[in-house]
Amino acid sequence: MEEKTWVRMVTAQTPTNIAVIKYWGKRDETLILPVNDSISVTLDPAHLCTTTTVAVSPSFDQDRMWLNGKEISLSGGRYQNCLREIRARACDVQDEEKGIKIAKKDWEKMHVHVASYNNFPTAAGLASSAAGFACLVFALAKLMNAKEDNSELSAIARQGSGSACRSLFGGFVKWNMGKAEDGSDSLAVQLVDEKHWDELVIIIAVVSSRQKETSSTTGMRDSVETSLLLEHRAKEVVPKRTKQMEEAIKNRDFGSFAQLACADSNQFHAVCLDTCPPIFYMNDTSHRQD
Amino acid sequence: MAEKTWVRMVTAQTPTNIAVIKYWGKRDETLILPVNDSISVTLDPAHLCTITTVAVSPSFDQDRMWLNGKEISLSGGRYQNCLREIRARACEVEDKEKGIKIAKNDWEKLHVHVASYNNFPTAAGLASSAAGFACLVFALAKLMKAKEDNSELSAIARQGSGSACRSLFGGFVKWIMGKAEDGSDSLAVQLVDEKHWDELVIIIAVVSSRQKETSSTTGMRDSVETSLLLQHRAKEVVPKRIKQMEEAIKNRDFGSFAQLTCADSNQFHAVCLDTCPPIFYMNDTSHRIISCVEKWNCSEGTPQVAYTFDAGPNAVLIAHNRKAATQLIQKLLFCFPPSSDADLNSYVIGDKSILKDAGIEDIEDVEALPPPPEIKDAQRCKGDVSYFICTKPGRGPDLLSDESLALLHPETGLPK
Repeated sequence: MEEKTWVRMVTAQTPTNIAVIKYWGKRDETLILPVNDSISVTLDPAHLCTTTTVAVSPSFDQDRMWLNGKEISLSGGRYQNCLREIRARACDVQDEEKGIKIAKKDWEKMHVHVASYNNFPTAAGLASSAAGFACLVFALAKLMNAKEDNSELSAIARQGSGSACRSLFGGFVKWNMGKAEDGSDSLAVQLVDEKHWDELVIIIAVVSSRQKETSSTTGMRDSVETSLLLEHRAKEVVPKRTKQMEEAIKNRDFGSFAQLACADSNQFHAVCLDTCPPIFYMNDTSHRQD
Repeated sequence: MAEKTWVRMVTAQTPTNIAVIKYWGKRDETLILPVNDSISVTLDPAHLCTITTVAVSPSFDQDRMWLNGKEISLSGGRYQNCLREIRARACEVEDKEKGIKIAKNDWEKLHVHVASYNNFPTAAGLASSAAGFACLVFALAKLMKAKEDNSELSAIARQGSGSACRSLFGGFVKWIMGKAEDGSDSLAVQLVDEKHWDELVIIIAVVSSRQKETSSTTGMRDSVETSLLLQHRAKEVVPKRIKQMEEAIKNRDFGSFAQLTCADSNQFHAVCLDTCPPIFYMNDTSHRIISCVEKWNCSEGTPQVAYTFDAGPNAVLIAHNRKAATQLIQKLLFCFPPSSDADLNSYVIGDKSILKDAGIEDIEDVEALPPPPEIKDAQRCKGDVSYFICTKPGRGPDLLSDESLALLHPETGLPK
């Protein structure tokens, strides 16, 4: 009698986020550990989100992934990090209805299929890797019945893409830079939920651009290596701003919030300009004042 | 018998200068004392200069000034500072031929007429106040026979406009920030003269800009007050860069010179961006020019061209030598061709022979230029650059003895 195969599947939806105190610069490239804290606001997934389905089955003979309908390779370090870290935390799964029983030690022998879809264009520069890696990690954790909470999951998502860790929560989120060499304390925590300051409205202007932009990964590495202002920012400016921003958010103090958000955005771009070769992310449309 | 009046007149020519280590931020607004040292290269006055005629006569009943033909007020603090400081240093003048005798204590009772003219457009953002105040101070010093040397005169020009102090010398010049409260040690010195590194060729791209720019004075005050990166730059970064730049200039080390010049220009603009409200002096065209230069320098392995931008979108490009400058103008004309109705003869001015070296005689030659191989999908952005000026490092201020060049009439003391 032929063995009947099974497929266990989970679908998750994750938001993207925008930093109001910026992450720019790593102290560890492999573990993706930043040189300073960052704070973000999570955007409503109804408008911008990643939807990811992850499936496991004994009939799958390799890990495979499709992104926006196109198959992509999972061999890169970032995907491998996430898969390895979640697999290490997989637990027993029992689905009596479907007749599925997976023991903890079975997981390492089984392969997964992943399909992911962004409801916003990747080329628009709207932080699709943040939403993407957060969704991958969150969905796999649910699939594999991992017991970790969202902060612990954020430390894994972080190893896919730094800013992904902040998409494990709604509202306003802080990525603690951490001190540990192994990055176990470099993770996201929720400052306040999305109801705390729900009168805020966010409008994104997607600006026409002919230029191919420098990737964040390359850009921030060049900045760490060549900007003489970056360290001063990371050591002296951001720690104070992070405290002030937490206060402003807690107190719904829009005046302080706006002053800090604008100043930090400008300083991040200033550091990009202070890099060798200089990086210009903003263009004349971004600047237009008249 | 009517007393015969006299007019004593002097005409001077002064160059402008471009900082390669930037001045941005004052520690004293009144005396114009900077938060860090700066270094500049003086441009050849044959291509860019201010000419100023100053005249004194007992028949003048007030101080008056005409700038580019238009009368302007001398009541502002900066003009008053310069006039006061030079008058305080005036000495005896005797011109037997003209029957003029001015005693030291006569000067404070006499009035001056000043006419000044820039041979480059003020709106082009090419540091006309630097050349202007340097010329005013230099010309007045000659008129009043002040004994001060050019460094001492630079401390006075500085009170008109900070960067003016660096136009009192040719070649490469350093404005020492000084320590004294009264600014007496905040002055310019010459590092090397214009012959020291005369193979350098300087091409300025005057970039079309619709925007009215934030004035340097306002901008740097806002930066001092609001940029959290400015103090770190002034205290930690610039002092090291000044030393390295002096070495690079002394040793004609173009690689180091270019790296420092570009880095300092970018950091100055970074501080502007870090200001509240943020200041954007460079625009997309400026960025495109930087990108062109960075790609070429990278593909050659060693820098061929340095770029630097002041408080505006204009690019000042310093090429290692004539060959690099020739290649540069070819790349620039490919990327930024003149608009269809422009005349090539007014599109590249200054030392126009650079076009001949580049094999360019007419518009068809410009259209036939090949794309720079180091730029993928190179675009031709017609009209983004208004025109180019080709020049080189140049000499300091000079008196012009040719009376026909004077801007005031020798008998009336009024503009010609």
